[in-house]
Amino acid sequence: MRTSRKWLSQYMDISDLSTQEIADKITAAGFEVEGIECASAGTNLTIGYVETCEMHPDSDHLHCCTVNVGDEVLNIVCGAPNVAAGQKVIVALNGAKLPGGEIKKGVIRGQESNGMICSLLELGVDPKSLTDYQKAGIEELPADAPVGHKDPRAYLGLDDEILEIGLTPNRNDCLSQFNLALEIGAILGKEVKLPEYAEAANIGGETTLKISSETPKCPQFIGKIVRNVTIKESPKWMKECLAASGVKSINNVVDISNIVMLETGQPMHFYDIDAIPNTEITVKEGFSEGYTALDGIEYQLLPEDIVITNSGKPIGIGGIMGGDDSKILDTTKGLILESASFSHVQIRNTARRLSLATEASVHYQKGIEPTAAQKAIDRATQLLIEYADATGIEETVKCGDNGYTPVTIDCTADAINFRLGTDFSQEEVVEVFAKLNFEPTVNGEIITCHIPAHRTDMEGVHDLSEEVIRMIGYDRLPSTLPYMEMTEGKLNPAQRATRVTRDFFISQGLQDCITYTLVSTEKMENAVLGVKEAIQLATPMSEERRYIRTSILPSLLDVVSYNHARSIKDCNVFELSDVAGTEGAKQHLAFVLSGSLQQTRWAGYNLPADFYTAKGLIEALFDKLGIVSQRVTYKENTTDTVHFHPYRSAEILIGKKIVGYVGQIHPQYGQATDCKNVIMAELDMSELIDVKKSKIKFAPVSKYPSVSRDLAFVVDRNLPVAKIIEAMTRQGKVNKENVIKNIEVFDVYQGEHVKHNEKSVALALTFQSDNHTLKDDEINTVFQNIRTELEKKFNAQLRG
Amino acid sequence: MNKLEQLRQEAVEKITEVKNLNGLNDLRVLYLGKKGPVQELMKAMKDLPKEEKPAFGQKVNELKKELSQFIEERKEALAKLEMEAKIEKEKIDITLPGRVPELGTMHPLNLVRQELEDLFIGLGYQVIEGDDIVDDLYCFERANIPKDHPARDMQDSLYINPERLLRTHTTAIQMVVLEQSAPDKAIKVVCPGKVYRRDDDDATHSHQFMQMEGLVIGEHVTLADLKGTLEFAAKKLFGDERKVRFRPSFFPFTEPSVEVDVSCHICGGKGCPTCKGTGWIEVLGAGEVHPNVLKMAGYDPEKWNGFAFGIGIERMAMLKYGIDDIRHFYTNDKRFTSTFKRFE
Repeated sequence: MRTSRKWLSQYMDISDLSTQEIADKITAAGFEVEGIECASAGTNLTIGYVETCEMHPDSDHLHCCTVNVGDEVLNIVCGAPNVAAGQKVIVALNGAKLPGGEIKKGVIRGQESNGMICSLLELGVDPKSLTDYQKAGIEELPADAPVGHKDPRAYLGLDDEILEIGLTPNRNDCLSQFNLALEIGAILGKEVKLPEYAEAANIGGETTLKISSETPKCPQFIGKIVRNVTIKESPKWMKECLAASGVKSINNVVDISNIVMLETGQPMHFYDIDAIPNTEITVKEGFSEGYTALDGIEYQLLPEDIVITNSGKPIGIGGIMGGDDSKILDTTKGLILESASFSHVQIRNTARRLSLATEASVHYQKGIEPTAAQKAIDRATQLLIEYADATGIEETVKCGDNGYTPVTIDCTADAINFRLGTDFSQEEVVEVFAKLNFEPTVNGEIITCHIPAHRTDMEGVHDLSEEVIRMIGYDRLPSTLPYMEMTEGKLNPAQRATRVTRDFFISQGLQDCITYTLVSTEKMENAVLGVKEAIQLATPMSEERRYIRTSILPSLLDVVSYNHARSIKDCNVFELSDVAGTEGAKQHLAFVLSGSLQQTRWAGYNLPADFYTAKGLIEALFDKLGIVSQRVTYKENTTDTVHFHPYRSAEILIGKKIVGYVGQIHPQYGQATDCKNVIMAELDMSELIDVKKSKIKFAPVSKYPSVSRDLAFVVDRNLPVAKIIEAMTRQGKVNKENVIKNIEVFDVYQGEHVKHNEKSVALALTFQSDNHTLKDDEINTVFQNIRTELEKKFNAQLRG
Repeated sequence: MNKLEQLRQEAVEKITEVKNLNGLNDLRVLYLGKKGPVQELMKAMKDLPKEEKPAFGQKVNELKKELSQFIEERKEALAKLEMEAKIEKEKIDITLPGRVPELGTMHPLNLVRQELEDLFIGLGYQVIEGDDIVDDLYCFERANIPKDHPARDMQDSLYINPERLLRTHTTAIQMVVLEQSAPDKAIKVVCPGKVYRRDDDDATHSHQFMQMEGLVIGEHVTLADLKGTLEFAAKKLFGDERKVRFRPSFFPFTEPSVEVDVSCHICGGKGCPTCKGTGWIEVLGAGEVHPNVLKMAGYDPEKWNGFAFGIGIERMAMLKYGIDDIRHFYTNDKRFTSTFKRFE
């Protein structure tokens, strides 16, 4: 919302306040001034008279002018196409500072030039308030403009300061300059005098105008016929106000319709009475045809659009734009005035569909107070009489009503203080309501507020409490802490598990990532361990953001390829995020490893990003989460061999349920995602959190020494090592105690020293008893049992 | 007698000159061994006249003791020298870099989120999350956002069907908490989470971002309590010197509603580019919970009230770390995220 010093000065005396002071005060009271700008800028300007104007001898578009600026005559070279002898013009003298730079004496293609003849654009005037003609050339001033005037900006009324105010949605009543002035007056403590126009339209005799509405989307339509008007230029104040609001001045009648909208917040439309067949107006829906609006463009109407009709033909799109046929021209003689209420939802939909964000449609969409339509018709009638010589005025015709019932709210100072935590007196509270024109009456404790019609946001004591604190000032609000029963602040077990997991991966050198929830169809289809079934948005923003993801990995692979493309070879990333499908939401964990996880090259230290590193991370994480390893199995991956290398990946099971996948990317998918040879995993974090955890329990440390022995077996190449370990573990019994405390694989060898279909597996075993020192023959027995068992089961041969 | 003194001199000289432990041992064997000269002298004692024996014996013993002691001293000194020589050979270049473990980094948004969570946990708040997909009922209706509000248009928010959508604010979580706690339980929660809007991604807009809202409901929880709480939080987050300022604003679910500014942590309130010269930085929106919201959830707004506040995590992170483009958070460029290694 824009207002200006000149707008405000019409209604109150603000001469004692700078524009910045006004801005600070109203900002503190909830009307945020987002910027202050000048209507124009420039120093060292004057008004000149173009005495001669010749073509430049050395150019096909420049002119050489002599310009009388009062105390001297200057030679000025001017490039504007419309410059001509006999014009009064704005001259920027040498040394003038304009928004575009400083004017200096110069020589242009051999001709001396002392200054510049200016267009309004060059003075920084908002192009929206200028006509194309004005934008294309220098500004032509009236013939009586005083030559040598020292302040052409003031002469043109372009010395105004404009305040750009960001209105909160509850205060769209202040899209009306009148209402805004009342508000600003209340904040500044100024007496506000608005023009008196109430009932100004209650004049005129019998009318031929008939109005009906066939749609609930137009609950109120007020119309009036004005048979005779004179089209001419608008008065200066009106032009200035329009300019301050960024609206072009066209002629007095069009300008009145605009100024009334700015003043009252109610959009109006004026029809040329002679351009439509008769004076019967019907508001309808149900048109589907092309229709040419007054901007000359044809729009396609749909049945839900609100259409103003005459003789069954559209003459306007309700609340958005009138028709081309009936628009006001210089030849217009008489008018039909429209001041109506329309469904703001329909106007929003129509305006958006037609990309027609007119001033009127914006006002309608933001909501208009119920009594504004009547105010507009009164004010318009008044202005037409005063500035357009209106005669032949007929009586006002109303269709429907505004549905307004006056609102009163009772409150007490205590109730307001209770909500705010303040201790304002009744007098202070009442004073605020009086300033806001709530006409407060006091009866003992009770204060009754009579809410003005435009304050549609006032519903109860809570609203009044806000008015009190914002008007008195938030600097008077004390600072206290809630007085309540003690509560324990904590994370729940799932939140703690999430944090432990995040911290664990970070400690292992992985980077925590956050990627987008919305993904493309392709990513949705490439879900790993995806939850069922993928959900798509009703109206996606783009193909890239069509589905709610059911898996994290496809997004995380994007992160890896992004970093790889920037020469970051060791890219190790993870993400913890919710994923969702029709069966509900789950928390997932995904990570991707590439290059090395840990590396110091000069020291020959390298933890490569391979399957075993990834599996190790998962095993360590499970340990941290308290998931006992006996419940976890890694099975050959037979269920997702599209994304994973079928021979270098595993399903991770807890009990019988697959809770995740880990392994090398399938070469084909790796190529498709630009993530060759990466190792990746996706796990169902929700499942991991739900697993019943083992309790930490102290077990006494054995007092007896442990013994380590190494063993190597040659076995079939395809025999999983886990089976060897499992079989070994079962052979550890000494007096009913399993004395095998640990089995560690330290080498797996395939190559020239074993047969091509065999491998050698070397293991280190640790033996220890909790109740005695193990004797050699006890260990030897276990050793022998292991050897026999492995020979029998796997045909394993003890090596060397 | 001369012989003895001669032997002493010779032995001391050799022991002094010997350069290593082996040589020293050889000398020990040579002089003090069974076949060594000291032993020889002892043997020779039997040939001496009886009255000379004690004095001679004493002398030989003294020599033996003296040499033994001297050898011990030399042994220690030589051992020390040898150790020194040995470890000198083991010298390494300590200026070579260490095997620095590659440390991962927490995402800056999670960093800020955790910091905020911990701050409020310390004040006795619970952390409540919820699903990204919510009912229109909790996202809008219960938050006092009317049916014809633009945000409720299928075109403006990310709807799945007319009843379900990706939450546009974490207020949706609060509305569920309110319903679960009504009609007579007090509430003290913070609700962090991802939210979604139909915005084109650019330097200052993101269709996905993170919020954290706080909600306190009790039998007398005032706007002044909100100010005190946020002042406490601001000091924790931005330093003890920070002041908090309220400006009137509007949210459908609170009344009064305020924008909360914190005095600029960069310039201390004098005015700088970060605060655009105002000395204040807008950090969050807040207010007293609207009575309609309480009523719809099942509380009696005559008896219960409270406050709510909503923090933009991205905005906090951008302010705290001076980040200029919101897209950085979702690109996950290692060079960006590795900035956030340090404890603060």
